[in-house]
Amino acid sequence: MENIGGLCLILAFCLGVYSIFASVVGAWKQKPFLLVSGQRAVYSVWALVTTASALLVYAIMTDDFRIQYVWAHSNKAMATIYKFTAWWGGQEGSLLFWSFILSTYTAVVVFTTRKKHEYRAMMPWITSVLMFTLVFFLMLVAFVEHPFRILAIGRAATPMDDGRGLDPLLQYWTMVIHPPFLYLGYVGFVVPFAFAMGSLITKQPGDGWIHTTRRWALITWAFQSTGILLGAGWAYAVLGWGGYWGWDPVENASLLPWITSTSFLHSVMMQEKKGMMKVWNMVLVAATFFLCILGTFLTRSGVVSSVHAFAQSSLGNYFVVFLAVGIGATTWLILNRLPYLKSETQLESVVSRESSFLFNNLILLASCFAILWGTLFPVISEAVTGEKITVDAPYFNRVNIPIGLFLLFLTGVGPLVAWRRSSADALKRAFLMPTVGAAIFMSVLVALGIHHVYAVISFGLCFFVTATIGSEFWKGSKSIAAKDQVNLLRGAFELTHRNTRRYGGYIVHMGIVIMFIGFTGAAFNLDRTVEAKVGSTFKLGRYDLKVADMKGGENENYVWNHALIEVRSGGSYITTLKPELRKYAVSGSQTSNVAIRRALNEDLYLNFAGMTADSKVILQSYVFPLVSWIWVGYWVLLIGTLICLVPSKIKLQYAKMEVVGIARQAQPVEN
Amino acid sequence: MRVKLNRWKTSLAILFVATLCVAQSPTAFITTDIRRAGDKLACLCGACKNTVGTCQMLGCHYAAPAREKIAELQKAGLDDEKVAAFFVKREGLKAFAVPPAEGFNAMSWIMPPVAILLGLGGIAWWIRRSRKPVLVDELPAGSADRVRAELDQEMAKFD
Amino acid sequence: MTVVVLSLFLVIGVVTYTMWVREGDLPLPAPENPFRHLEEIKTRIYENLRDLQFEYRLGKLSDADYQSSKLAVQKELGQVLGEIDAVKQKLAAEGKTVATSVPGRKKPQTHTCPHCGATFKEALKFCGECGKAMSA
Repeated sequence: MENIGGLCLILAFCLGVYSIFASVVGAWKQKPFLLVSGQRAVYSVWALVTTASALLVYAIMTDDFRIQYVWAHSNKAMATIYKFTAWWGGQEGSLLFWSFILSTYTAVVVFTTRKKHEYRAMMPWITSVLMFTLVFFLMLVAFVEHPFRILAIGRAATPMDDGRGLDPLLQYWTMVIHPPFLYLGYVGFVVPFAFAMGSLITKQPGDGWIHTTRRWALITWAFQSTGILLGAGWAYAVLGWGGYWGWDPVENASLLPWITSTSFLHSVMMQEKKGMMKVWNMVLVAATFFLCILGTFLTRSGVVSSVHAFAQSSLGNYFVVFLAVGIGATTWLILNRLPYLKSETQLESVVSRESSFLFNNLILLASCFAILWGTLFPVISEAVTGEKITVDAPYFNRVNIPIGLFLLFLTGVGPLVAWRRSSADALKRAFLMPTVGAAIFMSVLVALGIHHVYAVISFGLCFFVTATIGSEFWKGSKSIAAKDQVNLLRGAFELTHRNTRRYGGYIVHMGIVIMFIGFTGAAFNLDRTVEAKVGSTFKLGRYDLKVADMKGGENENYVWNHALIEVRSGGSYITTLKPELRKYAVSGSQTSNVAIRRALNEDLYLNFAGMTADSKVILQSYVFPLVSWIWVGYWVLLIGTLICLVPSKIKLQYAKMEVVGIARQAQPVEN
Repeated sequence: MRVKLNRWKTSLAILFVATLCVAQSPTAFITTDIRRAGDKLACLCGACKNTVGTCQMLGCHYAAPAREKIAELQKAGLDDEKVAAFFVKREGLKAFAVPPAEGFNAMSWIMPPVAILLGLGGIAWWIRRSRKPVLVDELPAGSADRVRAELDQEMAKFD
Repeated sequence: MTVVVLSLFLVIGVVTYTMWVREGDLPLPAPENPFRHLEEIKTRIYENLRDLQFEYRLGKLSDADYQSSKLAVQKELGQVLGEIDAVKQKLAAEGKTVATSVPGRKKPQTHTCPHCGATFKEALKFCGECGKAMSA
């Protein structure tokens, strides 16, 4: 079976190479047979990679511990669902998973565009770019990190009784779907890149491809957001200290392409609406793609130290070569095609939506750069000065909080500035009320005793943005409601349906605002670590916590202890929380199962961290104000993104020119 | 009998967990003073990006002894600067939570604002380049009416 | 043994599927449309205009802003229509005919000038574009 798996991978690699060859030569020499064959190779590769993946999953499910990968990442005691996750739990499997997703995306791209004339010329090149990336990963899977390697001593396969299993911390539901979503995001950005390159190579005059690309980018963006948030949610609920973002290099790596693609999703409107910034959009698409590859490289090469990193491996060099070749080729291509990327229109006024997009891009990229710089700086500094330094969370917070706040400000300003030009009078009308409102709101906050400067600014800006978005919906729905004689709610629905992209986008912005409220809450975190005997009480914020009881027991997987903590506030009973401490039998590792009382205003978070020699409970207790808003904000963001993907209701049709009765053959020569 | 056995098991379990526990009480070294000083220092345990002040891993093999050390130094009358200097002497510059703003490491702080300034410069350049005056001030004589007619016809379809 | 057979089967199957392309599997040639890019721009201009009008109605634009933006749109439209005309003339010179389609609804009866290719809703004696006689 492992032989067939290996064969599938090698065959997939060969067919991938063939597909590139057939597409390029077919497009170059105008050979339709080769082109069709090149496209079919895409489906073949998908079938082969899928078969290989299925075989690996089968091996994991059937506890085939002859295979090293299965032994290293699974064991008999694991629940089926977690066994399934072992597919991407290790280096080799996750590379296979990457290849599987990319080959699926490629097959979907080829399938969905098979009947579209406008992509006919570009398709061979799009296929080649996708396949080139896929071949690179297939090469790693088939020849460098082979997932079907057999455990053997000498030449004899040596089956093991049981595997090493998955870290118990990772046996949590969000961890089941966090990696697939992130991968769907990471890998998905290859598709917009392929379209961009295809259009550059074939010198497409129009922007038809950019609509398709934008949709792909948006879907991928939603996956990436989901993946990041799932990771944050997991860290918050499992790791025991209530952090959801640690500025770890691998976390940063997932954020970087997210930021550049956010920036692309904004500036692409300039191209769609005005035919401007074509070069810049190319750069953003390419940057997003290469940041995805860079992220994969950082995770797998061990260049930067990270909790997420896979074991040290020799993969780094391959990635460096791939990145160098890719970036070099892309830069050359963009420079070579500059004449085809000229703006079609001009900037009419500096005070316009167009300019606001420029600033949005600047600020997004600045934060992207700051994060990348901070992530790589230890490596750079060590190379230059020879001495190791640390870039920890405080650096990222100090640099990114001001940038983030400015971005939040732009979220409120941008959408209210009109396209083409906005006079001072129009701006005053749009911004007077939200600004005054935000100022009053901030003074109230200060008067209420909130003196954390960033927090006050952040809340003020959240108010400001909410007011501007609200006014957009309000004015629009009122106008439609009046015109169509319907109620306001129906009007709002109609409004959104007529221009799903704009109003969906506003909802995404609203999601971001809600998330910012959640982030800002962190300024008011409280924590206290106590050693408490059963029966004793302690205070945290407005809570009185009493260690009511402690229980223990065991099951086949682990030994557990939990403390029963009665929570009271102002004398009245609220709830009883049950943080737990576990020690796993197989791995011997000790983990805590935190207890969280979630509420919109604040979470009470208890971690049974350990016990002292004299049987006191060591309890880490926290209050995290507003943290739930982050998760709520995510859902709003997701809904907004989905609305953006719904086609707008009224798509006006315009009269179009067509050539009729044109002959494909050359015109007969007269005389 | 069964119940009894369970209880016996439970107490055993508690004992079992208890033996794993940190011998030194970790809570003794979490004070505002220690946290303030510790916030300047990186936790070098290799698993987190926190500071000695904020590392929440109980019995962290770096942060816990480091806090103890800070307490000791503070008792001896050292201020935060000197405490940090002690750790830098012991561990090298990496003991700082953030790169010091000296020498090459100052680049870590200089580059992000520089990048923003460069970007602003780029925007200014782009705006100047894209704001060429529109060459055609009036519509070509022959097509003006046609354009207007087509425009009015399409605009009538809008709502 | 089974492994060898399965492997052979796999290799032959996949390679055959990929390589064996028959005449009938080729896609039909794509229709050429030299207007596509210009039509895209035209559609974009109309969408922008529609947006402009709606924003104006919402009071997000001052009168002056609206008027000057509308003029700018008109200019863009004029330019595109001019370019479309140029392409039409070039095609006419090559002896190709051009028609206007209104997608969605049933094709209305149009009357095309045999000389310049311009189309009109009603039957005309002389073309409104080039002035030549439209029908014998």
